[in-house]
Amino acid sequence: MTMWLAQSNAWAGIDVTRHLFLFSPMLTLVCTMLAVVACPIIVGRSAKTIGAVVVMGIIASFILAVRVAGEVAGGGISGLSTQPASGMLLVDNLSIAFQLILLIFMGGVTYLWWMGSSDSEENAPEFFILLLGSAVGMGLMVSTSNLLMIALAIETASLPSYAMVGFDKRDRRGAEASLKYLIFGAISAAIMLYGISLLYGLSGSLSVAIVAQHCIQSLASGHNLVITLVALMCLLSGIAFKISAFPFHFWCPDAFEGAKIEVTAWLSVASKSAALILLARLAMVFCAGVSAPEAIGMLSPLAWGIGIMAAITCTLGNFAAYKQTSAKRLLAYSSIAHAGYMLMAIAVFVHPHSDHGQEGMSALLTYIAIYMFMNLGAFGVVAMVVWDTGSDNLASFTGLLRRAPLLAVPMIICLMSLVGLPPFAGFIGKWWILVALGRLNDSLGWFLVITAVVNTLISLYYYMRIVVQMSLRDDGQPALSFPLGGMALVNICAIALFAMFGFAQPLKTTSEQFTRNIFDTTMAKTVVVDAAPAQPIESVQR
Amino acid sequence: MEHIGLTHYLVVAAVLFCCGIFTMTTKRNAIGILIGVELVLNSTGINLVAFDRYMGPGRLDGQVVAIFLIVLAAAETALAVGICINVYKNLSTVDVDAASQLRG
Repeated sequence: MTMWLAQSNAWAGIDVTRHLFLFSPMLTLVCTMLAVVACPIIVGRSAKTIGAVVVMGIIASFILAVRVAGEVAGGGISGLSTQPASGMLLVDNLSIAFQLILLIFMGGVTYLWWMGSSDSEENAPEFFILLLGSAVGMGLMVSTSNLLMIALAIETASLPSYAMVGFDKRDRRGAEASLKYLIFGAISAAIMLYGISLLYGLSGSLSVAIVAQHCIQSLASGHNLVITLVALMCLLSGIAFKISAFPFHFWCPDAFEGAKIEVTAWLSVASKSAALILLARLAMVFCAGVSAPEAIGMLSPLAWGIGIMAAITCTLGNFAAYKQTSAKRLLAYSSIAHAGYMLMAIAVFVHPHSDHGQEGMSALLTYIAIYMFMNLGAFGVVAMVVWDTGSDNLASFTGLLRRAPLLAVPMIICLMSLVGLPPFAGFIGKWWILVALGRLNDSLGWFLVITAVVNTLISLYYYMRIVVQMSLRDDGQPALSFPLGGMALVNICAIALFAMFGFAQPLKTTSEQFTRNIFDTTMAKTVVVDAAPAQPIESVQR
Repeated sequence: MEHIGLTHYLVVAAVLFCCGIFTMTTKRNAIGILIGVELVLNSTGINLVAFDRYMGPGRLDGQVVAIFLIVLAAAETALAVGICINVYKNLSTVDVDAASQLRG
């Protein structure tokens, strides 16, 4: 059941109330943003007040998202327009599933920030406006297949992130991190927009489904081949920047190390997974557009391209994490590696002979959900160590098992889950991606399986370094003091990782439900190409 | 004499794009890099409007994107200048090579 919103030329017969309802989770976030703007005037700037307003907004948005999920999954929604692909926004199971994950995660990050902010915190409204703004951008990123909307959503997610990284104005490292993030971001966004303009020129449409058909035609026929490839590479570079895939990963460790720890946690999960789902959607639309036998051959290089990018990304992330002494930077490289694993799932359904598209997609969605808990837990513990000791160096973790057992145990669980060891949820996330790859049963699939397994072994080493530091070494430092609420948060994450492993089957069923319909109503299959198809560039010169 | 056609616009835009990329890669000053970004964004704008003009009557999508693009560029510049001022306050320079505390 895919719903299309905002079809501009046919207001008649469109149920506006229903469209607003379908879009309500994101609208609620925007309203929360306005409420946060108004709060300082009415009730004051205290961090606790603003935090409470934001939490209420997130809860309201979550409830609405659950209701929308019921509406979208239950069927009974008719398509709005005869040209489904021309809508700017779409609400389907995938986008709602991601928005639910995003809202849960945002609740966790808000809570973490709330714990960590001092009573004298003056900048709460500004911080939450930025956080909510980037959340809206990420929510939009997953619910569109229109090139203009993709560009706007990526920018809406990026601009507040730059400011959040440099949020503490007195912090030299934060300033440097935000400058690097901004420059990489601005360059890749500009290149992406240039690619979008070329794609628009080639196909005469902004809808990805139509663009995909034109691209595949020109790839198959060799007509405008070079310019199509350049345009696609440009578009991909903008998305790869958000994923921090090789070779667009340079900003990631610097930005993550310089930012406040809550911001690092937010960016490491939310912005990466939003971009991954966006890439997955684009890949799906592209593959659905391929029906001609001669065009199917075009997908194999594409699948190999994404597969190799994934392999390099995760190998590079894991090797670079080796020699890190800062826990934040180590987790930043680990997040690059995990982006690589998740990219592998995308290679599955780009693959030409794949009937396992849905398997790859549900593996990706599950992985994102699990990854959220792993990272929230790990960053939560790092945050509490930083608050108490003032340093995120691995040395400040020494003897944590004695100094704060209630933090060390969940940390060990989260780290083992990040490695992908049973009996924690990280194992099933990784396992399903490997199964989906193995079912491809060809050289690409096995290449990626071997890469992923070897990388898991490599990553064991540097995650174990933290565990060893916490458990085996001890330099007799005094016990750590930490907020009880934060301790509860990381323990809940650890328990969730156990529980997800225990209830792996229901988890699989749920994620399959959320991804099932996408492949039935794939956009390009139902697309009605514009009445006046675009003319090729040469024939329109006057 | 030949009329000005789509190709002319596309060539201008491509040259502008290359100038922008060149500026980004050679400038060490953050403001200089951001000017390069502006050049690339403007080349995109030329592309979009030219496609609309020459690809048949009644096309508006490209022009709408171009307007959004201008807004995007303005927002990005405002933020970028803010961040540059912050960097200048902290490091007394906006040279990107001076920003080298974070590495490893």
